[in-house]
Amino acid sequence: MSKKSKITQFSIITISLIFFLLNLTVFKLQIVKGDEYKLISDKNYVRLKKISPIRGEIYDRKYRPIAENQPSFNLYIMPSKVENKHLLTQFLADNFEVSYQEVDDLIYKQRFRKFQELLVIQNVSFERMVEISEQTDDYPSLFFKTETIRRYKYPNHFSGYVGRINENEYERLKDSDYSINSIIGKTGLEKYYESILVGKSGYEVLQVDASGRNLKFFRQNLRKEAQDGNDLILTIDNDLQNYAASLLPADKNACILICDVKTGGVLAYVSNPVYNPNLFTSGISSKKWQELINDPRKPMLDRIINATYPPGSAFKPIIATLGLEDSLITVDTKLAECKGGMYIGDRFFKCWYEDGHGKLSLLDAIKYSCDVYFYDLSLKIELARMYEFTDSNYLLVRTGIDLIGERKGFFPTEKWYKDNYGRYAGIIGPKTNLAIGQGEVLTTPLQLCAYYTALARDGNWIQPHLLEKKISGETTESFKALTKNLPVTNDHLQLIQKALYKAVNESYGTGVAARVGNVNIFGKTGSAENHMGEETHSWFAGYASWNEPEISFVVFLENAGHGGSVSAPIMRKLIVYYNKIR
Amino acid sequence: MLVKIKNPDWSILVLLIILLMIGVVAIFSASTTKIGDEYHTENYYYKQIVWIIIAFGLTLFMLRIPYTVIDFLIIPSFILSVILLIVVLFLPEIKGSHRWIQLGFFNLQPSELAKITTIMLIAKLISKPGIGDGKILVRSFGIVIIPILLIMLEPDLGTTLIFIMILFSLLLASDLPLFYIILMLAPLLSVITSFFSVTFFIVYMIILILILYRTRLSWIIIGLNTVFNTFVFFITPLIWNGLKVYQRNRILSFIEPSRDPFGAGYQIIQSKIAIGSGKLFGKGFLLGTQKNLNFLPEHHTDFIFSVIGEEFGFIGCFVVLALFFLLLLRISIVINKLKRKEMRYISVGIFAYLTFQVFVNVGMNLGIVPTTGVPLPFISYGGSNLLINILGISLILKFLNEKSIF
Repeated sequence: MSKKSKITQFSIITISLIFFLLNLTVFKLQIVKGDEYKLISDKNYVRLKKISPIRGEIYDRKYRPIAENQPSFNLYIMPSKVENKHLLTQFLADNFEVSYQEVDDLIYKQRFRKFQELLVIQNVSFERMVEISEQTDDYPSLFFKTETIRRYKYPNHFSGYVGRINENEYERLKDSDYSINSIIGKTGLEKYYESILVGKSGYEVLQVDASGRNLKFFRQNLRKEAQDGNDLILTIDNDLQNYAASLLPADKNACILICDVKTGGVLAYVSNPVYNPNLFTSGISSKKWQELINDPRKPMLDRIINATYPPGSAFKPIIATLGLEDSLITVDTKLAECKGGMYIGDRFFKCWYEDGHGKLSLLDAIKYSCDVYFYDLSLKIELARMYEFTDSNYLLVRTGIDLIGERKGFFPTEKWYKDNYGRYAGIIGPKTNLAIGQGEVLTTPLQLCAYYTALARDGNWIQPHLLEKKISGETTESFKALTKNLPVTNDHLQLIQKALYKAVNESYGTGVAARVGNVNIFGKTGSAENHMGEETHSWFAGYASWNEPEISFVVFLENAGHGGSVSAPIMRKLIVYYNKIR
Repeated sequence: MLVKIKNPDWSILVLLIILLMIGVVAIFSASTTKIGDEYHTENYYYKQIVWIIIAFGLTLFMLRIPYTVIDFLIIPSFILSVILLIVVLFLPEIKGSHRWIQLGFFNLQPSELAKITTIMLIAKLISKPGIGDGKILVRSFGIVIIPILLIMLEPDLGTTLIFIMILFSLLLASDLPLFYIILMLAPLLSVITSFFSVTFFIVYMIILILILYRTRLSWIIIGLNTVFNTFVFFITPLIWNGLKVYQRNRILSFIEPSRDPFGAGYQIIQSKIAIGSGKLFGKGFLLGTQKNLNFLPEHHTDFIFSVIGEEFGFIGCFVVLALFFLLLLRISIVINKLKRKEMRYISVGIFAYLTFQVFVNVGMNLGIVPTTGVPLPFISYGGSNLLINILGISLILKFLNEKSIF
């Protein structure tokens, strides 16, 4: 036989065997065991059931709840049991805060998984549930399940909130453990730690027929337990947080940030005005949502990380250390005389103190917050060097706090001025203003707080964070904060610390309103002029030390007046309070 | 210089068209669902029709250009498919692997193109007159290893196996003496027997020695082969037991994904229930219920056979299988008529991968073959696969058309 016909022969034998085997198997399934399979199919005996994990809860440093799960009655549809879709959809639209279109869309999305339940309404009240249950005879596809809903203990910007998974999230996550019913972290810690909080679904194969007989398709692993999400223990102190929130005037846009100097953990995180995250957990109505996003005071804006402001005089320690590091000044150098301002070229740059400070050296210049000293110092510094030094003190980069959407700071370059103000734009004038934290320099309150924390830590910058540890059963894992060093020598740093101490504790220091008798407070005020209003932004940033530095802080109020008269007294109250609870 | 189409092989063409039509109907049903009193149908069946038309357009074009043009394109198109296989690795994952290049209107699967270009290149290189055994082995292995390595990286087990199938079918068809193939396959079987018993292995060795003796191989090589396979037999359990539990599980679930009862295993069970519950006549068109049960809606692709089984019963399954059998039977008969080696080898390669795909896909639907994600040729939805399968058939049609020239 030739090779060619051998190939043909071999091929025919192969396909004959294969098709005989396949037909035999089909015959076995459909003819021999057909009745059995038909029964299984009709009654849907074999079913894969998902077991939802419990979302981890969020606690403060003393294990008091911030976000917890509370029982909730949720209304579901089983799409396969829908008799008349139009009537059902109309019924839901009439009885709940949900539109016909929304329900219709939900059912449509789940059309190819019609044996999987579909969450329609969350958090139905008990009375309502009883009322609806009486009518569900007409709608056999409806049923209630007792599940949980997320509750936040107080309005805040850091916890974020959870909500029903949306279309984009579903498209991105449907291949992992999410379904169309999933509740997912939308912002804040809930989003940042979603993968830790959410846990992992379990599965159960139900394969029992009506008479209770086990069908035994699977030999093993019939139930895979859900893994509940990890609980988060935050560095937040609920008492301090709530007290801080109570101190901010309701009509001011403002924020307070207090950090643990040792760990970088945030103790209080208040941004005003605030919104109630509970509004979102069971689906916010579009009217309320419009109200929130159209509110001119922007309650959804987290002013600690999502807004940048000119830091004003709170920026002066940076320029002072830059002068020392580059040997442009020493501690004793006296710069230009303050006569309520000074001339640079033919332009008069005003000091905030109209009567004038006279000739000052470094420590007094910071203590009195004399602008002229820094104007004069700025003349010795290149703009590029100012940029670089600000950047290397981590005021322009994101701090890496464990939240979503943190903004970077901003510091202009020569190129930026030329691009925005034309080729011949002078930079001496703007640079003079930058030296006192005015003009184009912008930082988030968080970046500034991280800088003062680093001053309190003798020049060691630490990543601010809200998570202290995550807990899963018996095991806990602590947050590991990054640390880096500021480009400042120890001698110079001690001078700055000394100046910050004088600013609060010596008479006529700008921060003297924050003084507390038995606590060593180091601080710098700031009053930044801005285009948002007549009044200056009011800053007070610094740290407080008992035996050693313990807390660092930033108190900031938009367009509220001077740092020394508005922000410093608020911080004083907080330190008195902290002194009691520490 | 266009080639005239004379006496195309009507039986192949008609069988192909019937299978394609059954596919469109099955896809329509698989992508239709009923909620309450409303039906919804996805537009997959429509897209499939468009692909069929495109494929036939290409077929007509291919039948009319001279074979020398196609021959000239073999090397460039192989290089192109290798480039695409590399490109796809750098694109974002879709469903956990790097198999598809998203082009907006459809997802291109480079491994499909690579199948046919690899077959053609190997066939071209090993059909040169007077080529020695060594060259056949070096060339075919040297070519096939490139797509295999790239596809393993995606990763895509099903398609990797198809390439191995292709290689062996081409070697079988070539002038290479049979014992080479036996020697290559022997250690693989030894690994498998090592999971059973020593008696089993001894029987296997005796059969192997007898077969090799019949090929008149020298006793030295037969002896060396026996020693080597015995070594493999004894070393395999040692290696296996040396592995950590998780490593073993990883290998096992690679070979048999249905070990996971919550993933692929559940899919298989549902497929068996769907087919079984169809009984003799099926539940009727659009009346299947199991297709909406699965977690992964892959009924219009890999699990289309279960839809046919459920809605058209044993009759439907038998008809589809019979059509495939007749098509493949006709191809194996016409291969005998092809005079040029190159064309014969290409046809054998196409025959082999079509047969393999039908067997693996239907076997998977019936729960007798591990789940590997291989579609059912001509029936399953899918642009790249459908196009390449139809082009494969049209190549064979073209060879038959050209036979009078040579």
